[in-house]
Amino acid sequence: MSAGPSHRRRFAVGLAAALVLGVGLFQWSLVRARARENSARAERVAVVALSALAEIAERAGGTGDDLRRVVVPVARENPSLTAIRVVAFDGLSLEASTAAADSGDKAAPRRLAREEKPLYDQGQRLRAAVETNRQEGGARKEEIEMARTPSGGLALAAPLEKDGSVVGLVAVETSPFPKVSGTGWLFPLLVLVIGMAAYWGGALAIGERRGVLAVAACALLVVAMVVLARHADGTLAADLRASESTVAAAVAAEEARAAKALQDASLGDARTLHPAAWDSDLFRRPYGIVRADGTLDEAKVQQGLAAGASSIARVIGTYAVLALAVLLVIGLGLAARLGATLRKHRQAYAYTFPAMFGMLLLVFLPFLYGVLLSFTDQSLYTSQAPVGDLFTKLWIGFKNFTDILGDFHVATRSAAGLVWNYQNIYWTLGITIIWTVTNVAYGVGMGLFLALILNTKGLLARPIYRVIFILPWAMPNYITALIWKGMFHQQFGVFNQIIQMFGGTPVSWFEKPATSLFACIATNAWLSVPFMMVISLGALQSISADLYEAARVDGATRWQQFRSITLPSLKPALVPAVILSVIWTFNMFNIIYLVSAGEPGHSTEILITQAYKFAFEQYRYGYAAAYSVVIFAILLAYGIWQNKVTRATEGI
Amino acid sequence: MTSGRRTGEFPHFPLHLILLIYVVVTLYPLLWVFTIGFSGQQSLMIVDIPSNATLLDRLRAIMPWPAHLSVSNFTSVFTEQPFARWLLNSVIVATATTILGVFLSCTAAYAFSRFRFPGRRAGLMSFLVSQMFPGTLMLIPLYIIIVQWLGLGSNFIGLILVYSITAIPFCVWMLKGYFDTIPKELEESALMDGASAATIFYRIVLPLAKPAVAVTALFSFMGAWNEFIQAATFMDKATMYTAPVGLRFFVGGFSQQWGYFAAGAIVTAIPIVVLFLFLQKYLISGLTAGAVKG
Repeated sequence: MSAGPSHRRRFAVGLAAALVLGVGLFQWSLVRARARENSARAERVAVVALSALAEIAERAGGTGDDLRRVVVPVARENPSLTAIRVVAFDGLSLEASTAAADSGDKAAPRRLAREEKPLYDQGQRLRAAVETNRQEGGARKEEIEMARTPSGGLALAAPLEKDGSVVGLVAVETSPFPKVSGTGWLFPLLVLVIGMAAYWGGALAIGERRGVLAVAACALLVVAMVVLARHADGTLAADLRASESTVAAAVAAEEARAAKALQDASLGDARTLHPAAWDSDLFRRPYGIVRADGTLDEAKVQQGLAAGASSIARVIGTYAVLALAVLLVIGLGLAARLGATLRKHRQAYAYTFPAMFGMLLLVFLPFLYGVLLSFTDQSLYTSQAPVGDLFTKLWIGFKNFTDILGDFHVATRSAAGLVWNYQNIYWTLGITIIWTVTNVAYGVGMGLFLALILNTKGLLARPIYRVIFILPWAMPNYITALIWKGMFHQQFGVFNQIIQMFGGTPVSWFEKPATSLFACIATNAWLSVPFMMVISLGALQSISADLYEAARVDGATRWQQFRSITLPSLKPALVPAVILSVIWTFNMFNIIYLVSAGEPGHSTEILITQAYKFAFEQYRYGYAAAYSVVIFAILLAYGIWQNKVTRATEGI
Repeated sequence: MTSGRRTGEFPHFPLHLILLIYVVVTLYPLLWVFTIGFSGQQSLMIVDIPSNATLLDRLRAIMPWPAHLSVSNFTSVFTEQPFARWLLNSVIVATATTILGVFLSCTAAYAFSRFRFPGRRAGLMSFLVSQMFPGTLMLIPLYIIIVQWLGLGSNFIGLILVYSITAIPFCVWMLKGYFDTIPKELEESALMDGASAATIFYRIVLPLAKPAVAVTALFSFMGAWNEFIQAATFMDKATMYTAPVGLRFFVGGFSQQWGYFAAGAIVTAIPIVVLFLFLQKYLISGLTAGAVKG
């Protein structure tokens, strides 16, 4: 590439692209993080107001004029609240309200109207949540419900308690909270421009030396990202501090208002309020950052700042790696080469693109996502968490795999003999192997046997037999499975009728592992014969009759003919069919799932149905994913081994 | 007849006997489902058996012929149960899957067969490996992508996309094998005559590959028509069930409506069985051609 493109220019383009990417991602995350902090702040302030109201409402006895006398003035004086409602379960009554709709003949106190039932239901939900959490001694259900209102404010509701039990609810609505003041574009743009200027200045001095240029561009990029990270750190730390002081001020203001209202209503000493508990999460667990006297616990604030800084470092680090990759791909000319290849074979790529894009999105991406899940502790309860959490909070490394593969307690010895542990992977693997080998062996044996008979020249009604024998293949296999499940029914099933016909006692097929597995294998055997039969028949018919003629002339017996002509001629057709059918049977979900459903006690699960049960009955998504990865590894190893032995994929 | 003499050592009678026994084995479950379907009741029993049953009573109980012939299961599965809707859902999903699947597979397979380009071998191998991905590994991520990211839960489009794309690897391999057997000279001479690449593909290659395209279509259609676990996962609303999910609804859990199940199963299975028998010659030649070629 003597007259090739300039390295200097290439790295300039690469650095520009990398900087644009890095700066763009940075700015996007910063805006999002600030918006998140802003709404978190508004939510905390709203929770403080709500908790303060709930506490003085409790103090006022939860109902009656006392309640209205304290709650209404406090709510009216708070500029951020647009409405407050207090509902008592007893008598379905609206005890207090400052909502605009509840005036005139609808003013509180009154009975709740029919269309206000959701409010009552919300109260009952909160009561259930409080009781659940108390019983379990944990925090599983949210004790404060929060939602956005159409106008952009918040609607919150907290339980109203009296003597330790929930007797109603307090609901508030807040006015829309202010948006984040604009996050400037100037600073990141400046970083971009200065970075490029510095590169170009340096590049003029460096000349066309590729290695030095690469190092310089990378160093500049890293410096730019570090500068950006520090900037983000400063901005977000300031936001966090602003949040803490806003919340502290809110706590102090609420306390003052509450104390005044209690005093005006002569409802006891305001000093017994618990303002430190007002700043809490939705489980009503205090954050403990704001002290009772309205000051901040500096150590806790520092803790929050440090956590924020480390998360910023991680995010920006990820962006930096991405940007570096872009820089090097473009700078080292890989992108240019890729572009040239794409242009040269554009027709081929255009033809394959739709299929490939679909496969990437709906086959390979889910696969990779599944593999990612297998290293996490993801479950139903955490499934709403953002993808980023998979790498941090939920990441548990190889624990799932060591749990699955390292558990050798296949059986335990007890007084009653060996007790098998049916959920152990080695038991399930054993069942899967028995299942696969039996089915494939029967399929090949029976299929070949029938094909040999059908291949008899001059046999009457051959096409009719053939069509009938193909039927099990044509039937949807879930229907077959459900039919056979019905035929194995303990009381009404046909098989037990036949057994009784010969004087036997009916068998409870699905109560013992052996009979249960037998029922599944019988079902699958029935439907796997046609495939093998058809493949064998096709191969048999392509054997030239001359070969047999010649063999007979040489005096070969029928067995010798079969051994040295028929079998070798069948091999090229049968081997791939067997490989396919091993993989299909190994992963044959429907039959086991629908016929035995793993009964009794998961003893007849095969690997794939067991993985499904882990995912959709126990909701252990991460564990189920790891289990599935093990299945994939087994199949892949089998595939590679088969490929070595048979060289089935040669000559693609 | 030389072969006649060869097999002449075997009398045909025992062969027919063996075949007839296997005919009974094959047909019995199918006749049984017809019996339940036409029995007019929901029970699994073909006839009621007295407590002191004789051998004849028992024999009657396993004869696949209903005690009373009735089509009431068929009429009520369509009138009292929303089965017509489920069947329609399946028709829509399977038809769209077939069209999309055939289009995607044909274009990709043609490129894999005719062009030599970087990534070709890797692409083909990746298709092969994808066949080993366990369905359970894909189900949760697919649910997240289809339902949470794309918002296509309880929507035909989600199912159609998943079905047509999961059918691609098998279809591409099969079609590629067939395209390989079409002589390249045909296309070259068309190119000489000034035909464009698209014309060659649509007017020459596809018509020649009709049997393989038919198999691809059949395979995609069957896949979508018979799939049940993904449909059960993605389709939350009962009105959006496909026929397999609906059939399982009749006899899954504590529900024991075997009459409805049998009637529904017959209605669902007949079109696919007819289609299969109609196209099986192509399917088998496609499978064996691909298999022998490797």
